[in-house]
Amino acid sequence: MDQPTDRPTGVEHGIAGSGGEVRSFAYSDVLTSDEAVALEGLSEKPKSFGRLAWERFLRHRLALIGAIGLVLIALLFIVAPWFSDYAFDERNVRDRLLGPSWDHWFGTDEIGRDLFVRTAQGGRYSLRIGLTVAVLATVFGALMGAIAGYFGGWIDNVVSQLVNLILVVPALIVLSVWALKFGSSANQLSIVLAALLWTRIARVVRGVVFQIKEQEFVMAARAAGASHGRIIVRHVMPNFVGVIAVEITLLLGTAIVLESTLSFLGLGVKPPNASLGTLVADAKGSIDNDPIRVLTPGFFIVLIVLFVNFLGDGLRDALDPKSKAEH
Amino acid sequence: MTALLRVDNLVKEYPIRAGVFRRQIGTVQAVSDVSFELGHQETLGVVGESGCGKTTLGRSLLRLIEPTSGTVMYEDQDVTAASKKEMRSLRRNMQMVFQDPYASLNPRLPIRDIVAEPMRIHGVSKKEAGERVGDLLRRVGLLPEHGNRYPHEFSGGQRQRIGIARSLALRPKVIVLDEPVSALDVSIQAQVLNLLDDIQHEFQLSFIFIAHDLAVVRHASDRIAVMYLGRVAELADRDALYEQPAHPYTHSLLSAVPIADPRRERARKRILLQGDVPSPANPPSGCRFHTRCPLAQDRCVAETPELRDVGSGHQVACHFPIAPGETLLDRVGAMGRTVEIAST
Repeated sequence: MDQPTDRPTGVEHGIAGSGGEVRSFAYSDVLTSDEAVALEGLSEKPKSFGRLAWERFLRHRLALIGAIGLVLIALLFIVAPWFSDYAFDERNVRDRLLGPSWDHWFGTDEIGRDLFVRTAQGGRYSLRIGLTVAVLATVFGALMGAIAGYFGGWIDNVVSQLVNLILVVPALIVLSVWALKFGSSANQLSIVLAALLWTRIARVVRGVVFQIKEQEFVMAARAAGASHGRIIVRHVMPNFVGVIAVEITLLLGTAIVLESTLSFLGLGVKPPNASLGTLVADAKGSIDNDPIRVLTPGFFIVLIVLFVNFLGDGLRDALDPKSKAEH
Repeated sequence: MTALLRVDNLVKEYPIRAGVFRRQIGTVQAVSDVSFELGHQETLGVVGESGCGKTTLGRSLLRLIEPTSGTVMYEDQDVTAASKKEMRSLRRNMQMVFQDPYASLNPRLPIRDIVAEPMRIHGVSKKEAGERVGDLLRRVGLLPEHGNRYPHEFSGGQRQRIGIARSLALRPKVIVLDEPVSALDVSIQAQVLNLLDDIQHEFQLSFIFIAHDLAVVRHASDRIAVMYLGRVAELADRDALYEQPAHPYTHSLLSAVPIADPRRERARKRILLQGDVPSPANPPSGCRFHTRCPLAQDRCVAETPELRDVGSGHQVACHFPIAPGETLLDRVGAMGRTVEIAST
């Protein structure tokens, strides 16, 4: 292509588009050769940010594995028990401690309950707590962090001190006391877990917002007369969704593990209900001669946390407009 | 000539806090007692070293930073006393172009939304804003199709054009240009400067052109204010300032500008000031330049020089201004002092 050596005022210049056809246009100001090169491919249809993010996500192999894996696990936990002949609390003393078979996929426990159905039920319980906690803690934490970071001053001081206070509280002890005193329904546990886990997100978001609000584009929005609300929603929040996507998945994993720990200690879900944690706890006595009963629920805990982390990784890359990397 | 923008005794102080209770232990005077006027379609250059308060001054004018005291008048409206609502309508008339072309565009928004935002905020319909974005982009030498792209797909010069398009969106009368070309390559600088020149005539704009590059300011400005440590040291028409500077600080600044003519360049004597710029947290008494001024006398330490007229609008804040035709070196010699010269 010709390099415009002097000012091509009003001259018609032909530039090859990406499709090979020639587009022509007039321009009145100086264009350097590299700018002209940058014009190629402009006949492409515009793509929204959401669409671009979706395309990047689809190209991210690990993230796809994570997403599909999670969907499959959820389906397994929700749909598969419908086709089973057993209920999760149905005892059948003759069939105690069976190994995996066509009839009982994961075997049975000490009182003859089908472990596949119980694992599915426990898995649903764990996933439900994980998701509730992740959503609650993320929304609350992001809000607190954004407010603290954006407004600074005494608001930031109050939020930061609150965060510090909660961070020094050992989560497991609070949860144990809570469960002993007030019971441990899924909703109660979720709320307590969220109340303990929002701090991490708040800290991360606060830091990011501190950085973003000093950027000149925020100053430019203010110069244009934008309100605080508009600046937060349009300029600050879109710039930390990537960070949040990662945090939310980490949080989901943490919540599931914490709930499992609690249930393992006998403070979580009460029998005859199960969670992945109680299933591991129930089977721990026979880990030497019958390891499969510990390993199946444990395997699902690990798998869920792993997939969730893959997903978070993919989301972060997909939501970064500068990311062009293909995985 | 009636002034479009009139700044009187503008001051911006930042508190210095320390200790557990964030007690205020002092203030940093970023801008102290700055006054000037800006006429219609005039460009006022503001030059000075890094940290002399240029950027703070520019931002205070638009109240992006709340000034501590002083007034800014736009026509007959007091910007510094304007309510939130009044400020919003004032922003239609006063806009800004920022220094860093990489930080001044939101990476999450396509160019079309970035340029349309000021219009959307001020109630222009989505459709009309979209059409005007195309015109604006074309006006700054880009294409309407660029609107669909994201900031990271552009070079520094292109981004600065986008920033200029955004600042033009509301058809303002005054644009504060905060070092608009200092982040750009020299070749791109010229293009952007020419663009600014063109749009100034087309849209009948007044510019406050903040820069530290004396050559750039000379090219772009009608009048120039030289700042030192938050104060205006000298304010004059461009040619008067460059050819007959009156303030010793201006003399030493100008002596640092290279000359394109090799013979004269070889004869150029670059005056080296002693020491560093003092901290604005603890500015020197009297004339702020006295700690580094080769002409300093007792009076300079005791008494703050006011900005006063030395003839035909040439204002200088110095007790002993240098007369036209005289050089700083002449004066230093006449006083029996010496000044360090860097050979070029």
